Amino acid sequence: MAGRSLRAHLLRLLLPPIAALLAVGAVVAYYPTIEPATTAYDQALVDIGLAVGQHIRVGANEYRFDLPPAVEQVLRTDRFDSIYYRVISPAGLEIAGDGDLPAPPGDAMAHDTMFNGKKVRVVSVQAPCGRSACTVLVGETMVKREQLARDMLLQSLFPDFLIALATLVIVWFGVKRGLQPLARLSDEIKSRSAGDLRPIDAAGAPSETRPLVGALNGLLEEVSAASRKQQRFLANAAHQLRTPLAGLQAHTELALAQPMPEACRAQLEQVHRATIRTARLANQLLALARAEPGARSSTAQVDLKGIAGGEADAWLRQSLARDIDLGFELETAPVEGDAFLLREALSNLVHNALEYSNRGGRVTVRTGRVNGHAYLEVEDDGPGIAQEERDRVLERFYRVPGTPGTGSGLGLAIVREIAASHAAAMFIRDGAAGGCRVGITFPHG
Amino acid sequence: MRLLIVEDDAPLASGLQRILEAEGHAVDVTPRGEDAVAAAAHEKFDLVILDIGLPHMDGFEVLRRLRGTASDKTGPTPVLVLTARDAIEDRVRGLDLGADDYMVKPFAMPELTARVRALLRRSQAHGGPRIAHGPLTLDTVARRAFLKGEPLELAAREWAVLEVLLAKVEKIVSKEAIIQAVAGWGDDLSPNAIEVYVSRLRSKLEPAGIRIRTVRGFGYMLEEYK
Repeated sequence: MAGRSLRAHLLRLLLPPIAALLAVGAVVAYYPTIEPATTAYDQALVDIGLAVGQHIRVGANEYRFDLPPAVEQVLRTDRFDSIYYRVISPAGLEIAGDGDLPAPPGDAMAHDTMFNGKKVRVVSVQAPCGRSACTVLVGETMVKREQLARDMLLQSLFPDFLIALATLVIVWFGVKRGLQPLARLSDEIKSRSAGDLRPIDAAGAPSETRPLVGALNGLLEEVSAASRKQQRFLANAAHQLRTPLAGLQAHTELALAQPMPEACRAQLEQVHRATIRTARLANQLLALARAEPGARSSTAQVDLKGIAGGEADAWLRQSLARDIDLGFELETAPVEGDAFLLREALSNLVHNALEYSNRGGRVTVRTGRVNGHAYLEVEDDGPGIAQEERDRVLERFYRVPGTPGTGSGLGLAIVREIAASHAAAMFIRDGAAGGCRVGITFPHG
Repeated sequence: MRLLIVEDDAPLASGLQRILEAEGHAVDVTPRGEDAVAAAAHEKFDLVILDIGLPHMDGFEVLRRLRGTASDKTGPTPVLVLTARDAIEDRVRGLDLGADDYMVKPFAMPELTARVRALLRRSQAHGGPRIAHGPLTLDTVARRAFLKGEPLELAAREWAVLEVLLAKVEKIVSKEAIIQAVAGWGDDLSPNAIEVYVSRLRSKLEPAGIRIRTVRGFGYMLEEYK
């Protein structure tokens, strides 16, 4: 994801508070567990102190301490820690043991302190000696306790760690899952053709994305309204041209039917041809406007065979005028499409074939199905279109250099746009007898 | 024949008028639909050429009113609709309202005059016993054909094929359409059989200058007699 990743953003937002919460939780869980453990270890030291206290002997004026070496050995032995003791008379005089072991301050029963450069825990035990009490201090280094504290901390941190990990995973996949409707949305938009300006269906989108979908649909609506307006204008202009052109054509044909000087006639014939060309151009512009992406076209189930058959009369008249053998091989070819545009596409192909074929040539109109794909094509035995020209002839207003006749260069461009508006593919192939086969293959209907 | 042109574009209307007058018809012109309806109520026209894109009352409305008059019900006046639009809906609507033919502007004059001739022929032949095409005459009641006044022998199937072609002069008639028109129920006519009948018709009619053109892969067209 380019730019600000929503995932990273969510993690940045979520993880610090979660980590803080977990840390507090760990501390809260740690102290209640470390307390009893510390007490238990202290109790063991107290037990040692009591045991040591039993070895104080009270004399007349003095206290004696006779700890057999074997017992001392046992008392001082611990797997992890060093154990110290110090025995103090009720008067505060040293009786035995490690004389520098610091006593807990005041009335405290235990404390942590330093001894011989090590951290030690020291407990103070009162041992009976005569009528009063001696003080026995027992100290122990902190190896065991620190080990325990570490273990306990780890034990309480481990679930926290799992929770943090789970949060990460949940955020990662949750965001992916949560954004899936958006991904679907973007897939839908990406898969659209440029001309598809229908509003996006907001039904499946999560409510949070509704404003986005709404804004997109608003934009699509505006674009398609602008496009409709432009198409309406173009269509109106083309329609408006037709009536005056019909008048012009009527009068030139009337004039041509009358006797007149040859020079005049030649010029009038030019006017007549130009009129017909202009009329054709108006039709082609109309077709372009209708084939334009997003045009409101009236699609229905139509049979290409019927469309070709319906125009056969008009084409035959043109072919007779040029002495061309126009033939048909029409098989049923149902497609979902705009009948006007399909007729215009086929008319353009036939017109091209008739225009560029030699006198006495042969033009064949075909419709049918191949592997379930409906197709229409027109084959001629004219000069054909050179391989390197085949892409260029599809451009608007392009004409192959040196081409005779009076085409506008729009015909094949229109056919291509009409094909595109039907999600169909246009092809130009070599004809069986020279010339070329130009047509459209439609997607599975 | 009396023709009425309803067209608001003056140059086109005058052009059509002159061409049709040159064909020997008496032609009236009006740019307004209301006037056309009024005129048709008083006089009987043999054909109306009607533009759809009229101001005020449009061609569809004119057509609806023409078809609504009492005299039209007894003998409908053929109506050739002209339009600058080619939306399919317009075409269908025009034909639904009772238009007999439909031409999109602009059009070649020979095409217009051919359609006018065809419409007039059809309406004259409507119910009439005789069909004429150049030197050929068919008496549909007696089922006898004459060529240059001489009786012409036609087999039943040949007669049927010729009748179909005569109904659509200058228009391509597909082989399927001919088979449908010629074959009775249960008959199984192959396209090849049609070819045989057409070739027999040709050998009988071509010497008199009546030509039946083959449209490769599609059907046949009876050419206008010249």
